[in-house]
Amino acid sequence: MSRIDLKVILQDTVSNGYGDLVTRPTGKAVRGGVEEALAGLDGEQTAIIDFSAVRCLDISCADEIVGKLLLQYGAARLFLLHGVTASHCDAIEHVLERHRLAVVARGRDGKIQVLGPVAEPARRAFGILTGRGPAAPEEVATELAVGPEVARRALEELRTLRLVLQASDRYTAVTA
Amino acid sequence: MTRVVEVPAHFDDRSFDQFAKAFGDPTERRLLFDAHATQWASPYGLVGLLAAGQAAAERGPERPQLTVPADRDVAHYWGRAGFFEHAKEWFEIHGKVPRVAAAHSSDVLLAITPVRGTDDVHTVVESIQERSAAILSGELGLEATATMGFAMALSEACQNIVEHAGTSGWVAVQAYHWRRRLGRRVVVIAVADAGIGFRRSLEATQSGRFGDRWADATALEAALFQGASRFRDPGRGQGLGGIARYLSRWEGKLSVRSGTARITIVPEWDDANPLTDGLPAFPGSQVLMIIPARQAE
Repeated sequence: MSRIDLKVILQDTVSNGYGDLVTRPTGKAVRGGVEEALAGLDGEQTAIIDFSAVRCLDISCADEIVGKLLLQYGAARLFLLHGVTASHCDAIEHVLERHRLAVVARGRDGKIQVLGPVAEPARRAFGILTGRGPAAPEEVATELAVGPEVARRALEELRTLRLVLQASDRYTAVTA
Repeated sequence: MTRVVEVPAHFDDRSFDQFAKAFGDPTERRLLFDAHATQWASPYGLVGLLAAGQAAAERGPERPQLTVPADRDVAHYWGRAGFFEHAKEWFEIHGKVPRVAAAHSSDVLLAITPVRGTDDVHTVVESIQERSAAILSGELGLEATATMGFAMALSEACQNIVEHAGTSGWVAVQAYHWRRRLGRRVVVIAVADAGIGFRRSLEATQSGRFGDRWADATALEAALFQGASRFRDPGRGQGLGGIARYLSRWEGKLSVRSGTARITIVPEWDDANPLTDGLPAFPGSQVLMIIPARQAE
C-alpha cells in the first residue's frame, strides 16, 4: 500500500501557495505527478490517493485526477481515495457518473463507501464486506436476505468495477 | 455622433434585457453609458456593465463614455464593489469617482475581480472560502458541506470564461437581504464576459446535431442539460451541470444568458421562465447564481 498525498503533489507540480484542487490545468499537472508516483509502485499495490489536506475539489480537477486515472489505470490497479469530504464526494460522484466508473473512498471520519453509479444490491453487499470482512456469496445472501444468485451478481458487479477482490469463492472489499 | 445607452435605475438581472436592448449594436457609433440616474445595481448589473464597456471599446469606433451615478451613496457602493477600478480600463469616465478602495465589507464577499486565466480562478477560490463559510453557515443557516460546494461552483463558473469566452471576464460575490423579492438573505454570484458566447463556442462540435435549430437557446440547452463541450474529451462539459446540481441541493437559482437566450434552473421560490429565447442580443455570457438562506421551519 502506498499513499500519494495530493497536497504535496499540488505544491510540487503547480504552486506552493495553492491549497485547492481547482481548474483543469491544475488537475492535469497533479495527475502527471500522481502518474510518476504510480510508476514507482509495485503493480499489485493498492494506490491510496490522499485527499486529507485538500480543501476544495472542483469538477474539472476531479475529472482530470480521479476520472482519467481510473480510465487509464483502473483496469490494472486498485485505487482507494483517502480522506475525502462530502464536498469532494459530490464532485467525484459527478465525474464517475459521466464515465460510468466507481471507486472506493474513505472519508475523514473513517467511513468507507463506494462512489459512482453502482446498483443498490452491490452497494449493500459492499457494506457487508467492509463490516464483516471477506465473505462467500452465500454468506452475503444471508445477510442481505436475498437469493444466492442476487448476491453473486452483486459481488460480480463489484469485482468487475475493481471494488472487491476475489480469492477462490470469497470476496474482499478494497479497503487498504 | 454618440449614442446614449441608459443604465436602468434599478440595474439587476431583471432589468438586464432592457439594458441589452439599449446597448444594441456597438460597432457604428460611440456609446455613452448613462448611469447618472441609477439608484441601485446588483453584482450582475455591474459585471454586465463592464462586459458592455469592453465590447464597446473593442468593437466600437471609440472607447465608450460612462457617467458616474449622481447619488453619492450609489457611486460609493460601486467603488466599494470594485467597479471603477476596472471600469477605467474600458470607459472614459465622466463625473466624480469616489475615492474608495474595493472593500471587504460584510456584504461584499468578493469585490469585482477580473478572470483572465487559471491563476485568477485559484486566487478567487482561495480568497473567498473563509468568508463564504461564515456567511453560508452563520447567516444563511446552510450546512457546512455547502461551503466547499460553493467554492466548486464559483471555480467552474470562472473557468467557463477562461476556457470558452475567448477573452477575459469578471466575477463578483455579494450577500444581501432580498426583502421584497424573497424575504430572505441571499448570496449572489455574478459572472460575465464579452466573449464569443455559448453558440459560437460549441458550434464546431455540436451544431451538426441540431441542424437548422442551432441557435443560442439550443447551445445553452446542450451545455446545461447534455454536458456538451467544444472539446472532444468525454470528460469535458461537466461544469455547468455540476453547478446546477449544487444549486438545486440548496434551493438555489442558476441563470445563464448568452446571445439572445437565457436558460434558468428555477427554484420553487422564483417565477422565471426555464428558457427564454428572442432576447435582445448581448455579447458573451452572463451567469447568475443565487443561494437563499434556509427557510425557517
